[in-house]
Amino acid sequence: MNSYWYLIGLLALLCSVVVTEAQAQSGTGTLVGDVVSSSGDVLPGVNVLIPAENQGAATNAEGRYRIEGLSPGSYEVQAQFVGFRTETATVTITAGQETIQDFTMREDLVQMEEVVVTGLGQSVERRKLSADVGVISANDIEEAPVSSIDQLLQGRVPGSSIRSQSAQPGQGALINFRGITSVFASQTPVIYIDGVRVDNNSGTSLSFGGESTSALSDLLTNDIERVEITKGGAASTLYGSDAANGVIQIFTRRGQEGAPRVTFRTEQGVDFPVTKFFRDTGFSFASAVEDPDDPDFGRDSFIADEILETGYTQNYYVGVSGGSESVTYNVSGRVQNGTGVQPNNENTLYALRGNVQTEVASDLNVNFSGAYTRSNFSRVNNGTAIADPLTAFEVGDAKFFSGQGTLDEALELFLLPTIKEGVDRFTLSASGTYAPSDLFSSKLTAGIDSRVNEQRRRNPSAADPLTGNQDGLLTRFDRNYKSITLEYVGTVSYPREGRITSDFTFGAQGFREEISTVFGEGETLIPGSESFGEAGSVIASETQSEIFNGGVFAREQIGIDDRVFINAGLRLDGNSAFGADIGLQAYPSLGVAKPRSDESFWTRTFGGVVNEMKLRAAYGETGKFPEPFARDFSFQSTSFRGNAAPRFSNPGNVNLSPERTATLEGGFEGAFFDDRFALNLTVYTARTTDAIFDVPEQPATGLSTQLRNIGEIQNRGIEVDADVTVLARNNVRWALGAAYGYVKNEITDMGGEPDFNLSTTVSAQQRISEGEPIGAWRAATPFDSNGDGLPDAAELRFTGSTPYPNHTGSFTSRLTINENISVFALADWATGAEVFDWGSHWAQFNGLVRAERITQYDEDGNELGLFSTEDDGVSLLQDGDYLKIREVSVSYRLPDAFLEPLRLSSASVSLAGRNLFTFSRQDLVDPELAGITSGGGLQLGGSQSITLSPPRQVRLSLEVTL
Amino acid sequence: MLTSNHSLASLALAVLLVGLGLAVTGCDFLDPTEVENPQTTEDDLEDAPDLVRVFLPGLEAQFARALGSTVVTTEIASDNYSINGTGLGGTAMDFPERITPTTAVINSRDADTGSYWNLQELRALADYVLTEILPEDEGALDADVALVHYYRGMAFLMQAENFSAVPIEEDDTPRPAAELYTLAEAAFQESRSLSSGGSNMLRTSAALARLHRGLGNPQEAPDYAQEAIEIDDDFVIGQGFDEQNLVNAPHIYLVTRALQEMQPLPRLDFLDPKYTARDDGIVVAKAEEMYFIQAEAALAQGNPDAARDFLSDARALAQSRLATEFSDSDARLDNNLNPRPQSSSIKIAFEPGAPFQQGLVLDRPGVITTPATSGTSVTQGDIATASGTELVRLLYQMRQEVLFLEGRRLHDLGLRLPMMLPELEQNPNIAAGDLGTETIIPTYIPPANEMDLYDPVEIYEEQEDEDGNDILVLIEDEITMLHDMNRILAEERGLVMQNPRLP
Repeated sequence: MNSYWYLIGLLALLCSVVVTEAQAQSGTGTLVGDVVSSSGDVLPGVNVLIPAENQGAATNAEGRYRIEGLSPGSYEVQAQFVGFRTETATVTITAGQETIQDFTMREDLVQMEEVVVTGLGQSVERRKLSADVGVISANDIEEAPVSSIDQLLQGRVPGSSIRSQSAQPGQGALINFRGITSVFASQTPVIYIDGVRVDNNSGTSLSFGGESTSALSDLLTNDIERVEITKGGAASTLYGSDAANGVIQIFTRRGQEGAPRVTFRTEQGVDFPVTKFFRDTGFSFASAVEDPDDPDFGRDSFIADEILETGYTQNYYVGVSGGSESVTYNVSGRVQNGTGVQPNNENTLYALRGNVQTEVASDLNVNFSGAYTRSNFSRVNNGTAIADPLTAFEVGDAKFFSGQGTLDEALELFLLPTIKEGVDRFTLSASGTYAPSDLFSSKLTAGIDSRVNEQRRRNPSAADPLTGNQDGLLTRFDRNYKSITLEYVGTVSYPREGRITSDFTFGAQGFREEISTVFGEGETLIPGSESFGEAGSVIASETQSEIFNGGVFAREQIGIDDRVFINAGLRLDGNSAFGADIGLQAYPSLGVAKPRSDESFWTRTFGGVVNEMKLRAAYGETGKFPEPFARDFSFQSTSFRGNAAPRFSNPGNVNLSPERTATLEGGFEGAFFDDRFALNLTVYTARTTDAIFDVPEQPATGLSTQLRNIGEIQNRGIEVDADVTVLARNNVRWALGAAYGYVKNEITDMGGEPDFNLSTTVSAQQRISEGEPIGAWRAATPFDSNGDGLPDAAELRFTGSTPYPNHTGSFTSRLTINENISVFALADWATGAEVFDWGSHWAQFNGLVRAERITQYDEDGNELGLFSTEDDGVSLLQDGDYLKIREVSVSYRLPDAFLEPLRLSSASVSLAGRNLFTFSRQDLVDPELAGITSGGGLQLGGSQSITLSPPRQVRLSLEVTL
Repeated sequence: MLTSNHSLASLALAVLLVGLGLAVTGCDFLDPTEVENPQTTEDDLEDAPDLVRVFLPGLEAQFARALGSTVVTTEIASDNYSINGTGLGGTAMDFPERITPTTAVINSRDADTGSYWNLQELRALADYVLTEILPEDEGALDADVALVHYYRGMAFLMQAENFSAVPIEEDDTPRPAAELYTLAEAAFQESRSLSSGGSNMLRTSAALARLHRGLGNPQEAPDYAQEAIEIDDDFVIGQGFDEQNLVNAPHIYLVTRALQEMQPLPRLDFLDPKYTARDDGIVVAKAEEMYFIQAEAALAQGNPDAARDFLSDARALAQSRLATEFSDSDARLDNNLNPRPQSSSIKIAFEPGAPFQQGLVLDRPGVITTPATSGTSVTQGDIATASGTELVRLLYQMRQEVLFLEGRRLHDLGLRLPMMLPELEQNPNIAAGDLGTETIIPTYIPPANEMDLYDPVEIYEEQEDEDGNDILVLIEDEITMLHDMNRILAEERGLVMQNPRLP
């Protein structure tokens, strides 16, 4: 090895001596040229390189480059630019002359040279990947009028289902990639920020009426450089027992070398409530609003007029970035306030983020990034809470529940209870990269995520008639989340050239997560008191969980003639939640990628129709570890008449192991028709074995239920992502995109366990049944029992639908004019779900038919009226198909001519809208909303009270960089 | 900037120092794999002192759960209460033929319903203490162990009364009620052998009297009843609850009554809600019941005069018990939102053709006075003049009224409940249709929910008062119960002691 290097060094020395001699003798030449895009636009910032000489230059604002001091001779020149194909030309340099070489860059829709790292342990070009890894770029993030990561993902990840919860602040979406893989565990992908695993729990507060706070809502999108997404399977295998739901990696923005650049951004916005899914008081209090003698006469849209309101939001950001050759930095701060579209819905956010990178030595880099977020927000009761104003007014309960005579008086009472919450979150990441040569590099990352939230619900005594409390109630819930991540990755790349290339990655990765909660409730408070110490009676409880997951991994990637790439990997995992008899778990992966390697083949075969093509196939296993302590036989003690009273808690299972998902996937990425059309297609089949079920013990044992690995679940699906450039000329470029995902979910084996319900509504169950999808709706269905053609009885039947969609997709449109005006639109859609409509059930108790129901007959064919909502669940299951115009934005970047007099390096203004229109097949529930969830564990959503859709948002933002 | 060699040397030095330090001091403080279950595990119990005593409050709390849930379950399954709304899983429990292992109240592990589960857990926890804990606890007091046997016996007794057959260990075949009685008796006798203190003798003799009545032993039952009365002739043994953590189970549906879930039979309205505080105790045994057992034994032995005397004693004692004043806001609605009887002027006939009686319904909403322990509408005159079947009917009526909300009525009716679903599904030795898996309904029980019904249903009309407020105006002040279940029992079943209907 050493002699090899000496030889290379000697040769290099020899060459340099020869070259120096040559230059001295006959002088040097210069290479110049212009670089434009295929649509004729000038392209600044393009790197033009002569690899053989290790020389290069970037194009200036006019798109011109100049490389001087070149020895005469023939060279290969490359022009490289993100988002464009690398163009290559051969030039001959003559001493004392300028050689001109212009480049026309073709856009690269499939971006084969883009580098990703998630699940690979090292940076790998996309063309070598055997499994699909999604990337959301800084450009995509900037143009999205969103503030949290879950909103950013909506419509941007093919094959995903991402459903918001409601219009209230602090909530996060239910995220699912590639189908449901468990009947007990959360489906939220794990999230890493700069290599550190962070809190992704969707239920971090008490759930009042089915609405709780999600840790996703304070994962902000500002200063994010890139998001990488693996949806489970082979691409996630190196994350082992934590990866079955997929992995989202967030990379924060680093500073660029140069003078400090200060960026100010302000965003002013208006939120409009969506009233589409309300009948309003004209329906629910018809007799009062139509009676001229009633004080509520004429108030047929009380919800829209008096409860919902226009919200205002303002957001201020300042960031400074810059650095020297050895130290770069990027720090920013942000303040945001929104008033919300419902009463008591204010939210305020303070955020700081910093990223410092230091080159300690030429081969040693240290990077530190950290973020602090403080989020304060308040909500009103919603969902199944009895003090939920929207439901009470929509279904006619408002006066009855509050005991008030008029709508105004009732509303006053409904708005007295408050639910306030504050979240403090620190995320820190430190990493060191040591790369002594091109052949070896290693990286050590350590980090922590600390999230603390305090939620306080206050039912003042004045609200007693509504809440049922006596002299008020104060509920407090504190949750403290800490996780520590440690990762080491080493990479040996040898040989790097020749017919066979090899990259071997090895490492160890682990995390420890600790969550503790404290719940306290004080009853009987004097007016104005907000302290437990002053309550007449106090109850309190706490929970604690600790878990460690750690493992070692190795991955080998071999390239053959740069035409075929084969990889194999293995992770061995241990976890503190595994049963005592379960040892290390092994997760293997295997894949092959065959990128375009012989252009003439495609040209010969398809006559230029195909410009680029990569075929890929991969197999990989991932896991999902069980709950902490579910393996132990334990006792639980409760307070009883002044004593600690123990009883059986968990039966214990020494064989408790992770759920294992084995995924086989294949597909291709291609560019066609002169790079005008790109297509990415993946087909997969994923089988989850050892699926965990909460199995009842025989009641004779006195033990309740125990998690056991007895089931099998299958998901099969297809993901398609297509982009087409419709127009590309005269500085106008218009591109359209579409994505589609389909997944078929089925419980293939329940280990002999009987069917059960994940959740039950009054007349429909989310059923777990072999041969059906997870949570398949089984609803009370009217039918004709005596053959007279008239429905006279009802029984529970599967409806063929699920609470979540199985077809999802999105459309995008991006129009760019003169490189400084861009118009972007995003719509997403889903079909296949049905949503249980609680509101129409409750309306029944007030004699209101909110959802049309089926007429019931007796056995003799006499009409009996409508089936009750208890017997007619199918009529309460509303069609969940929707299409939402999610985002439309127009942005304008000021031309340089305007910037110079103002001493600005850039300035832009944009107008954006979000959640602008919803198309649905019914107008009783917003089909997108996840609705009632209980936080933690598997949440399918799909049942809703009267819940407000995320508002129509309009944002005007201005950004200047000094 | 450091040179590469410098950085490497520093890094190596740092690693060396940390490595040496850890090797010397041990690295437990850096061990990320160590986790601590905050709950008690079996490891935590090893070598812990006084464990029987530690588990006693757990047994008491579980007994409270078992008792509370059994009272709620049996009161709604009997004619004492009917169900309104969805808070108790709908109205299935009002229809005996609809009660199956899947019925929400039966297939429940809740502390306020879930009778089957809570009784099984009580017995299993007592078994665990006796087999796993006691052998390791050398200093355990006999009195404490006696209490463990008592709780175990009470679990068997309540199972024997209300279920037809129950398995008592993993993979067991269901033990029929008669065997459960035998197991209960053995447990009580074991308890008595360990502790002959007054309170233990009182509770076990009361339990044995009740047990032998259920077994159909007219000799033993009154003897144990007499033994209890001799210890204390007006005794009440109650199981208290916890105001915050384990509320009196009926209280949830009678007082909090968010959905007016439990509505009493109109002729028992004057006894409802009995438990007005969250931690009110439920009566486990009281002297009145001993007199009833003695009266029943006297009837069985052909001595109606003695029976009348015992009933008079029971009545006198019941009348002497305390009453509670309570502000009741219950709207007294039935499932079709019709107001149920809630005016003191209403007169009730116990069945078609029977005389109308007033004073059984209280004015609500409003401040009412109800018995806190015992109450009855039966007069001394009723007792004095009754004979033959009518005396038996009166015995059933007095038991129904005086032992109201104490979980005795379902057993008197002869109805027996099925086991919960997981017991049937998880045990390879139990199949659907086996004894214990279905509700046992005597042929004399009327169809559907007729035990709960009265006529007419619409007895109020909504009108406006002078101020324009909606008020209820009584339009029908005489209502007739569809069935007098006490007469049916007297005629069809006779005495429980003579016809125990044991599976």
